[in-house]
Amino acid sequence: MRLDDVAEETVFSISSNKVRSALTILGIVVGIASVIVMVAIGQGAQASITNSIASAGSNLVQVFPGFGAGGGAVRGARGAALTLTIADAEAIATQVQGISAVSQERTTRQQVIAGANNTNTSITGVLPAYATVHNVQVADGNFIQAQDVTQVSRVAVLGPTTRDDLFGVGASAVGKTIRINGIGFQVIGVTVAKGGTGFNNQDDVVYAPLTTVQTLLIGDTHLSNIAVSASSAAEVTPVQQSITDLLLTRHKISNAANADFTVLSSADIAATASTVTGTFTIVLASIAGISLLVGGIGIMNMMLTAVTERTREIGLRKAVGARRADISMQFLAESVALTFLGGLVGVLLGIGIAAGLQAFAGITTQVSIGSVLLAAGVSIGIGVVFGYYPALRASGMNPVEALRYQ
Amino acid sequence: MIEIENLCKVYHGGLGADTVALDGVSLKVEDGEFVAIMGPSGSGKSTLMNILGCLDTPTSGTYRLDGEDVSQLDDDELADIRNLRIGFVFQSFNLLPRATVMRNVLVPLLYSGFKKSERYDRAAASLEAAGLPEAFWEHRSNELSGGQMQRVAIARALVTDPGLILADEPTGNLDTKTGEHILSTFQRLNDGGRTIVLITHEPDIGEHAKRIVHVQDGLILSDEVNAVQRRAGGESDAA
Repeated sequence: MRLDDVAEETVFSISSNKVRSALTILGIVVGIASVIVMVAIGQGAQASITNSIASAGSNLVQVFPGFGAGGGAVRGARGAALTLTIADAEAIATQVQGISAVSQERTTRQQVIAGANNTNTSITGVLPAYATVHNVQVADGNFIQAQDVTQVSRVAVLGPTTRDDLFGVGASAVGKTIRINGIGFQVIGVTVAKGGTGFNNQDDVVYAPLTTVQTLLIGDTHLSNIAVSASSAAEVTPVQQSITDLLLTRHKISNAANADFTVLSSADIAATASTVTGTFTIVLASIAGISLLVGGIGIMNMMLTAVTERTREIGLRKAVGARRADISMQFLAESVALTFLGGLVGVLLGIGIAAGLQAFAGITTQVSIGSVLLAAGVSIGIGVVFGYYPALRASGMNPVEALRYQ
Repeated sequence: MIEIENLCKVYHGGLGADTVALDGVSLKVEDGEFVAIMGPSGSGKSTLMNILGCLDTPTSGTYRLDGEDVSQLDDDELADIRNLRIGFVFQSFNLLPRATVMRNVLVPLLYSGFKKSERYDRAAASLEAAGLPEAFWEHRSNELSGGQMQRVAIARALVTDPGLILADEPTGNLDTKTGEHILSTFQRLNDGGRTIVLITHEPDIGEHAKRIVHVQDGLILSDEVNAVQRRAGGESDAA
């Protein structure tokens, strides 16, 4: 049997039973569409996390405090210890090669009040270098200046979300006063939005001079982290290594496993985040995959019914000269055509739903060519796998019995 | 030419209960003959017809079709023989109900290797030979009357131009008058040189053949020339 004849018979057979064909492929349509949507949501999440990590500063190397080296075997929480000092940061700035800026930071969380409004947000004590290292741009007013740090000025720069919370959405805040821990701070600037949502919102923040935060809000001179900008992407790893070596020496620690600090690059953070979102994507896709399997079983059921129903037709075709392969090819082509059609509709539906989620539900989605090709391949594969048994059954029929079938 | 020699067919039932459907049948049919194989149900005539039609293989004995031994061929080789050398006409027509008349007649050509351009002409020629007017060719086959359906089936049997037509109770689902018309179509085809083997249990139908073979209990009971072949008229009245 020629391939164009097989194609023609398949089109005829599917189109002469439109309602049933449509209902049969519905399972595949739903399965493929959900795979596409789930993968799009997973990849969208991955992309938005990667973006927000990148917007935190490129070629960034961050030093965080490690376990508190308390007495005996009892360790404090990682990151809670106060092991980083201004002297450490200055040593990094002067002794490590290949860096362009060093930002000393001290973060605390406080209630912030402005008039009748208040919010609980993160207060970051910074040096002017913070803006360079973390790509912070100011939309209105100025960022923290060197003289603000030396004079321990009571000034603050607000993230746009904090500004919205305290003064109303889009309101002008520069020149106004906010109170933190009972102390008045004059707002001197508002930053440009960086994005991110929920716990990862980089715009819900108040920046103040490092010295002011250390002396007036906290009362000690330790740092909660040191952020270093490497001069190029190639320098990131050597800089990471040099900082580790330098701090081990300064903290008099001989075994790196006992380090009381952690040095992470943005690549490390992005890799961790990708692992998380990758797992998330796989979980979502496998759930969708199960519905695809159910759809495949639906196809097999329909094909088996069709084989039984068309027993006399099979007998007749055999009687007029169809070989085994002709019969199995015809049924296999039918199931593959059904699943391929289902896959095609499913891909279109999936792309539509993903676009709809992005437009109306605010969920970042990203449909990848890979998932579309995979879906198309899988749907054809389902047609072959679940169509094979019915086709084999059809081709193995005895023509005499098939013709006599009632 | 059909030559069968000492043909046996045994069906193996459960519990060792074997059924002997054919018990050593020998028969020779020359090209251009019109033979009626007659017998009551259970006589073995259907089994004989299945083996003659290469739908089934004998348990023992030989079957030579045009000099070639076909009794031990495999499924696919038998399919090719059925496709090109044998045309079937069944009691229940066995048309594809949703397909048009033309599409039904084209089915055997799907498996034949004829060129696409040639197929439509062949189908049209055999529909004409079967006596179905062109006005019906694009109708769906389930919109036709019984007699018209049987003409479609005859056209389908003729489309690969086989030498042998096997008709299994071709008038069984038709009224007497329509049945006569169909039989005279077979007679006309036979006049044109085609070998016809007609299986029936009705003596009235068998009388339309030139030779009558009676089968009973898996054996040939009698084999005689039908001296007065009954000719039905009015075939042009395509019912």
